[in-house]
Amino acid sequence: MNHPPQPLLEASDICIAYGGHQVVHDVSLAVAPGEVISLIGPSGAGKSSFLRSINWLEPPCSGTLTFDGSTFRGLRDGGVSKRQLQGLRRSIGMVFQQFNLFPHLSALENVVLAQVHALGRSKAEARERALQELHHVGLGEVTDKLPSKCSGGQQQRIAIARALALDPQVMLFDEPTSALDPEYAMDVLVTMRRLADEGMTMLVVTHEMHFAAEVADRVVFMAEGRVVEEGPAAALIRDPQHERTQKFLAAVKGR
Amino acid sequence: MSTWIELFPDLLPGLWVTIKLTLLALGLGLPCGVVLAGLSAAPSRWVRWPVIVVVEIGRGVPGLIVLYLVYRGLPQVDVVLSAFLSAGVGLAFSTAAYTAEIIRAGIAAVPVGHREAARALSLSPLQEFRLVVLPQALRTVIAPLVGFSIILYQGTSLAYAISVPELLSRAYNAASITFQFGAALTLAGAMYAVVSLTATALAGARSRERVL
Repeated sequence: MNHPPQPLLEASDICIAYGGHQVVHDVSLAVAPGEVISLIGPSGAGKSSFLRSINWLEPPCSGTLTFDGSTFRGLRDGGVSKRQLQGLRRSIGMVFQQFNLFPHLSALENVVLAQVHALGRSKAEARERALQELHHVGLGEVTDKLPSKCSGGQQQRIAIARALALDPQVMLFDEPTSALDPEYAMDVLVTMRRLADEGMTMLVVTHEMHFAAEVADRVVFMAEGRVVEEGPAAALIRDPQHERTQKFLAAVKGR
Repeated sequence: MSTWIELFPDLLPGLWVTIKLTLLALGLGLPCGVVLAGLSAAPSRWVRWPVIVVVEIGRGVPGLIVLYLVYRGLPQVDVVLSAFLSAGVGLAFSTAAYTAEIIRAGIAAVPVGHREAARALSLSPLQEFRLVVLPQALRTVIAPLVGFSIILYQGTSLAYAISVPELLSRAYNAASITFQFGAALTLAGAMYAVVSLTATALAGARSRERVL
């Protein structure tokens, strides 16, 4: 057994509750630099909630997150300051199922906005970088269009460019292709695969088993708010050990 | 008809005062409404609750009482404003309260995912509001705000009660000399209506333009 490198990000015993109802129970996960992890499992398994706790969109009620030398504690264990939070989010990019582009801004302006206001880049610099990122995701031609004039696949790639423009160390993807037609989903998956090949550290909640098997280094299977099984991606999807995982994968593959 | 033509020059300065009063109430009230709407969504209840109370008072108390309070009440604490300013400030208070409620609804209509995206991009709460939420909210509230402005324009006739020489008081005074109450009041009514309907038509044309 070779020792894994020092984790870039480590979640320990993360618990998340809505009202008195606990949806994530003591989930721990260490992510090495450059690692691509897919979170899979049935609806309501807590995958998205766990992912959203990593950039504190869903503040965990207990547990800790260690990232880049800083420790972030869940609400019951002291919580985090505003400054800590902004630092954390500056280093973690996120892509949502519903894209969440700002509809009043053009594609280019969507990518420029946070560069100027969160990072303090000059407008010219931010514009330059935004064009670069949009070209990188294959969207040099839509820069001046409003999101509503772009296809779903284009919108999601604009959202990816928007996150990448802030130079994140980790990218979170929350079911990035679930709202897309298969054809457009492929464009997004190709973009994500290239990002993975370039060495980006990625956590991806997905129902795309091909992506999980082929692109991810590791797969984590969650059900009922807990990690049931995790392991090397191809092996886990081909030969799951746990009964719950076998049932889920049989159902997904049978579709 | 000839009476109307005779009365028109007397009423015209009143129309100008009415329009100035409307613009003053909007100019003071609308920015306050935006701020109140923003604060009514503040995370801290110590900010939120007092704001909600102010807004509900502003919407709950009749405009005429507010005007009297400003014109007759404030001098008791040594704040003396002219009749015109009193009317402007009083109407601005009501405007702030009503527009705050309209804008609050517009803010609530901004999808929560857009706020989350702003947060995930490490924008501060103030930047999230100013750069992402407000521009979207303002687009959806333009039509209700135009509607409110037209009601406000008509509502400025309350200033008659504190003897501001606006359109209604001009009409009333002209009539009390000539006893042509019917002619004077219908002419004033028509002058209110022409401006209101023109504004409605312009706003309708603008919003159709935006859809296309």
